[in-house]
Amino acid sequence: MISRILLTIPMIFILLTMVFVIIRILPGDPVLLHFEKVENPEAIEAVRRNLGLDKPLWVQYFDYLSGLFIGDLGKSMQDYSSVGEQIFSAFPATLELAIFSMIIAVSIGIFLGVEASKSYNKPKDHAIRVFGIVTYAIPVFFLGIIFQMIFGVALHWLPVGGRIPNPTLAPRGLVLGDFRFSSGLYTVDSLLEGNVYKFVESCRHLFLPSLTLGLVLAGVFIRLTRSNMFETLRQDFVTAARARGLKETAVIYGYALRNAFLPVLTMIGLQFATLLGGAVLTETTFSWPGLGRYIVDRINFRDYTAIQGAIVVFGLFVSVVSLVVDLLYAYFDPRIRL
Amino acid sequence: MRDIKAIGKMAIIGILVIIIIIAGVAGYYLTLPKEAMLVMGTTDSVESCLDPAKAYDYFGWEIIQSLGCGLVEYKPGATGKVEDIVPSLATSWNSSADGKVWTFNLRQNVLYDDGTEFNATHVKYTFDRGIGIADDEGPFVGIGYSDIIENVTVVNKYVVKFYLKIPFAAFLSLMACQASYIVDPKYAPMQAVEYTAGNARASHPMGLGPYRLNSWTRVAGKDSEMQLEANPNYWNASGGYPKTKKIVIKFYADSTGLALAISAGEIDIAFRQLAAADINNLKTNANVKVWEGTGAFIQYLVLQLKRAPFNNTIVRQAIASAINRTKVVNTVYLGQAQKLYSLIPIGMFGHTDAFLTLGDPNYTRTLELLNQAGYSASNPLTFKLWYETSGHYPQSPQLAQVLEASLEACGAINIELDYLDWPAYRSARINETMDAYILGWYPDYIDPDDYIYPFLDSSGSSWIHHNYNSSEMDQLIAWARGNTSSTIRNNLYAEIQELMAIDCPIIPIYQGGAWAVTKTNIKGVYLDITQSWRHWLVYAEP
Repeated sequence: MISRILLTIPMIFILLTMVFVIIRILPGDPVLLHFEKVENPEAIEAVRRNLGLDKPLWVQYFDYLSGLFIGDLGKSMQDYSSVGEQIFSAFPATLELAIFSMIIAVSIGIFLGVEASKSYNKPKDHAIRVFGIVTYAIPVFFLGIIFQMIFGVALHWLPVGGRIPNPTLAPRGLVLGDFRFSSGLYTVDSLLEGNVYKFVESCRHLFLPSLTLGLVLAGVFIRLTRSNMFETLRQDFVTAARARGLKETAVIYGYALRNAFLPVLTMIGLQFATLLGGAVLTETTFSWPGLGRYIVDRINFRDYTAIQGAIVVFGLFVSVVSLVVDLLYAYFDPRIRL
Repeated sequence: MRDIKAIGKMAIIGILVIIIIIAGVAGYYLTLPKEAMLVMGTTDSVESCLDPAKAYDYFGWEIIQSLGCGLVEYKPGATGKVEDIVPSLATSWNSSADGKVWTFNLRQNVLYDDGTEFNATHVKYTFDRGIGIADDEGPFVGIGYSDIIENVTVVNKYVVKFYLKIPFAAFLSLMACQASYIVDPKYAPMQAVEYTAGNARASHPMGLGPYRLNSWTRVAGKDSEMQLEANPNYWNASGGYPKTKKIVIKFYADSTGLALAISAGEIDIAFRQLAAADINNLKTNANVKVWEGTGAFIQYLVLQLKRAPFNNTIVRQAIASAINRTKVVNTVYLGQAQKLYSLIPIGMFGHTDAFLTLGDPNYTRTLELLNQAGYSASNPLTFKLWYETSGHYPQSPQLAQVLEASLEACGAINIELDYLDWPAYRSARINETMDAYILGWYPDYIDPDDYIYPFLDSSGSSWIHHNYNSSEMDQLIAWARGNTSSTIRNNLYAEIQELMAIDCPIIPIYQGGAWAVTKTNIKGVYLDITQSWRHWLVYAEP
């Protein structure tokens, strides 16, 4: 367990080093972007000094690393404010989207995968496989726009963008006297506030982006569950369970699926990285104010520190998810010891 | 097995609970009171802050205009003429015979939103502060206020005088631009631009406008929501302004999201930026109204004069003769733009179609000129045409492709298209590595001077890096800037444009339109050449 956590450190270090180098190779100077019409050399140098870009590259690198050790992600090269504050104001939106998308992806993926395995090589199986391939191949932004057109524009059932209707204030979370707690997840915070309206609205706003991203990811889970379940359903213990007179639902979901679940669990961990990549496009399509949009905006401004910071947070997030997956392994298969 | 049955029962109970909750919420929704307000959607965002000493972006100025007031303003429907400038905080004004001293008589008993009384010292404070801070990213340096204004003097509580360094014909227009809006010294320290995040009132130094900023939510440095509420102390509140007491501004990531939001009825107004295809689609939607106005945005092709091939005037003229603007306007912008033959936009005084004489296109002329310069079908003029890909300008890749086809159609030009994202494009422009590149322009103040001086004056155009330097042009511009007679200025701008069409350092391409889409009951929308969105005039008809 400790070694798993320690492995995260070199991973983040390598990731950060790569981002640090690659973004500086790109043409474009973040300092010059502050000067649209005036190119006063002294002012340009002052900004460069202020941002620490006048120092040699290796000094900038070690400055950044030393800041990181004390939890300082540096200041934005666009607006000079704290990158840490900016990232942590955007991260909860991405986290909420990621969690709900993964729930949808896994639910749909497992359900359809199981159904396909039950009807192996029959029309139902073929239909589900085609569905899985189509959802896997479809561009996330395109699917998002289709859903917006159907559920937002045509049916008026769901909103097409944002996290909460305007001018509703964001849910404030738990407030007990001077004690305040806000997770930044609107669904959680609205429940903590005890505001049903905000909870329902948060869910309504979350539904389409989560469904879009979830469906795109579901294809992998469909195929994986189908093939694993097909193998598992032919095992002796399944035949034995059926022979004992158990209902088919109980055999499949209570016995077979539990055994076929480990590879799916592995895939959940791996797919979180893909999911964060998909979040960049989904957040733009649904005007979702998360970290994905933040990265896109900041790349357009060569905001080195902001991009580095966001990548570090993404890396940490994927590491934490991998760790949680490892812990769940032990639960699903007690033979595995961490 | 028992577990499975128990789970089944739990699921049924869960579904019933969910149905009851949904029913309860639906009932709650139906009883919610509807607040009188308008929701506006945009893809814009405040780029830096809401302080006129630093803010230098379209949306920042839009909000500054709602929260503050200038000495004068353009009346709705303005065409940029001086007669369109009407009183605001100044009730009357006059200038000396030489145009170097301007006196403004101020409106009396005007209060800021916090109850402080406005007076002449605030006018002096505003300009002393902006010029003193001299933010290199801000409009006071960008426009060059310190090159124009010598000093501001308070004559008495309600009279203020501006002493200018040069007779500046566009001075009233400059006073109407949002960078000249008056700040409240209480919220605007003399030496710095300060912004307090999370505190709407402390996040801007205005206070004399029709609205006050009720809330301003930013996530990760990007606008998320903004609420404007009527300022009860607004000097024209008794006139019934603002017409809508509350405006909520919602921010979208891209034009598709904005178009979907207005189609879905989630917002009342969609303003900036909608793509041409979205506007055309919305024109067929009976639930919305598409408003069309005069645009002041222009795009143009810049040629690098410091080296071959564009250090040769004949080659530049050949390029100017081979631009097919009709194709640009119809193919790229689906008819939602106008062909532009001058840097001064159509609808503004001083405009002439100077480049039309070169052809639209005239390939015979292009080939003649290229032959004179030593190029032919067997030895074509070859160069790279650059465009940006960050969405900084609308549909840049398509524009570049149409220009490429248009120029190559003459048979003696061979173009290689190349692109960079905006940060790299900016650096390439500054480093002068591009031979031909597309740029665009929004005006700072509404006067021909703002379309000529920053592009053709050897000093004013240094930012564009095309290395155009003409003493004859400089002299004409200086005369046009300093002359107060509209007739003489008109003639001078005609001469300037004529000379520009001979030298061709920049080739105008098109003038963008101004578009807004609203629900059908929205009234009071004015899309004139000032590009101002006047929130205080817009209202929903019951």
